Amino acid sequence: MTASVETAAAQAGKPPRDWVLISLWISLVVVAAVWIAPFVFIVFTSLKSTAQVMTSSAFAPPTDPQFSNFTAAWARGRFSTTVVNSVIITAVKVPLGLFLSAMAAYALAKIPMRFGKLILVLILFGTMIPFQVMLAPIFTLVNGFGLIDTYPGVILPYLAFGIPYQVFILYGFFRNIPHELSEAARIDGASHFTTFRRVFLPVSLPVLAALFILDFVATWNEFAMALVLLQDREMWTLPLGLSAFQGQFSRDYGQLNAAIVMTVLPAIIVYLIFQRYFVSGLTSGAVKG
Amino acid sequence: MAERAILSNTRVQAALLLGPALVVYVVFAVFPMLDVIWLSFFKWNGLDPVKAYVGTANYVDVFTKDPVFWVAFRNTVIWTALSVAIPPMIGLALALGLNQPIFGRNSLRAIYYLPVIIASIAVATMWRWMYDPFFGLFGQILTSLGLQAWVPDWLGNRDIALYSAFGAYVWQSVGFSMVLFLAGLQGVNKSLVEAARIDGAGRWAVFRYVTLPALRTTLTIVLVLAIISSLKAFDIVYGLTGGGPAQSTQMLALWAFTQSMQIFDFGRGSAISVVLLAVTLAVVIPYMRWSQKREETAE
Repeated sequence: MTASVETAAAQAGKPPRDWVLISLWISLVVVAAVWIAPFVFIVFTSLKSTAQVMTSSAFAPPTDPQFSNFTAAWARGRFSTTVVNSVIITAVKVPLGLFLSAMAAYALAKIPMRFGKLILVLILFGTMIPFQVMLAPIFTLVNGFGLIDTYPGVILPYLAFGIPYQVFILYGFFRNIPHELSEAARIDGASHFTTFRRVFLPVSLPVLAALFILDFVATWNEFAMALVLLQDREMWTLPLGLSAFQGQFSRDYGQLNAAIVMTVLPAIIVYLIFQRYFVSGLTSGAVKG
Repeated sequence: MAERAILSNTRVQAALLLGPALVVYVVFAVFPMLDVIWLSFFKWNGLDPVKAYVGTANYVDVFTKDPVFWVAFRNTVIWTALSVAIPPMIGLALALGLNQPIFGRNSLRAIYYLPVIIASIAVATMWRWMYDPFFGLFGQILTSLGLQAWVPDWLGNRDIALYSAFGAYVWQSVGFSMVLFLAGLQGVNKSLVEAARIDGAGRWAVFRYVTLPALRTTLTIVLVLAIISSLKAFDIVYGLTGGGPAQSTQMLALWAFTQSMQIFDFGRGSAISVVLLAVTLAVVIPYMRWSQKREETAE
């Protein structure tokens, strides 16, 4: 600890040691340790047998790692079904939703329309309304279409509740694109479709990437709507599978924690890989807006 | 050739670009919101072809005959007040710290943000295990400090279960406020900070008179988002306590779900949803007005 504090001091400011910065750094590291402790605890438990969980301390690393917890949890938690469902739903919903939102945002930002402003307000409104408020009518609606326990039945509401935020961000971005850029293309006789595809999509790639990551994580993690719309366990997604696993096998500590690790790992990996992209996209949008 | 002519019409192009998103949004998001108001005036089990119109009976029942509703209402208010106060405060403190030139700040930021990207239901499962009174993390820490007599039944004791659940929510949501504040801090005028420093202002004075005023907009956004996301608290409570013990951690969103989808009383469930919707709108509409005004003055 002392050694690392000294390196920090050396980095932070050379001769006059800035004690405020050093104590700040120490407190940030302590908070980070607290923040990461649950992960350590979960991973350690996931590798222990039930007997080891009961006898060893929470932060004792597993002496004899039980990787069988993972294979057992995979089978009992029906992960081979839930992973496939989650992948299909996410792989369809995220790109499709972004594409629809980008088209709509372009139209609202660059084509003068009579009710453009009104439509924009209606869509902005959607960024604020939580769907958790109306799970029952969503069920009724999807049931009316005969789409309970189907992929479209869950993807369509997901799209509907993802569109507002994406349109909102992309609208702000498109509006700031200089007029000359789009007008030049339009004068050359290009249709709005071509202008959108050739001019606007390429320049908005960083924003689209950031929205893609955000939406991937949100879709992958979504629980409440899936709980209502996917009742057949053959259609369950990962979060539903984890919830059911906890309900049934909460006393198999090792396996339960292995199930948690397997559920959250994909989102963590995606986040760690695209982190830079994600943060830069988010902050550049926020500063401009 | 005729097809080309139609496609080159600007209005047709606008409709084709805007249409798909708008239709999906109106059918699957706007319509259910109106439908929930409609359903709140009927007695219906969700499946019968016939709905019986009962006027405001569902509201009367919910307000006068349903003690759980008021528990849920109170809990939602407590939860909202706490989540406006605590996670944004910690988030602001962390963001101010990370805004300094310190060692490893990217890794630190990544760590604080990590819980945000984890599914709420997984957070609930993790924390339920950490709250295990016998082998969980918190019990073990207290025991190793010699305080085993003090280990409470975190989620089983109805006096503290709500606050235990809120602990998990703090862990999950601090990173989100932090990122928004970090973005806001980018917009603080650096030459203004420099000038204040040169004029002999200390760290606190710079924060109080330069940084904080510049963060006002960010602060409003963070607080409004905190209110909205706490009104929809569902997954984390569902996964941690399911509203128990004895409905002591019941929340409005969860109670509306329980009434409709588990007790099959769609009318009452919808009435509860409408109450929650009204509360949400009371926050959302002034906020939208505010941000629209802000945009207009910026132009």
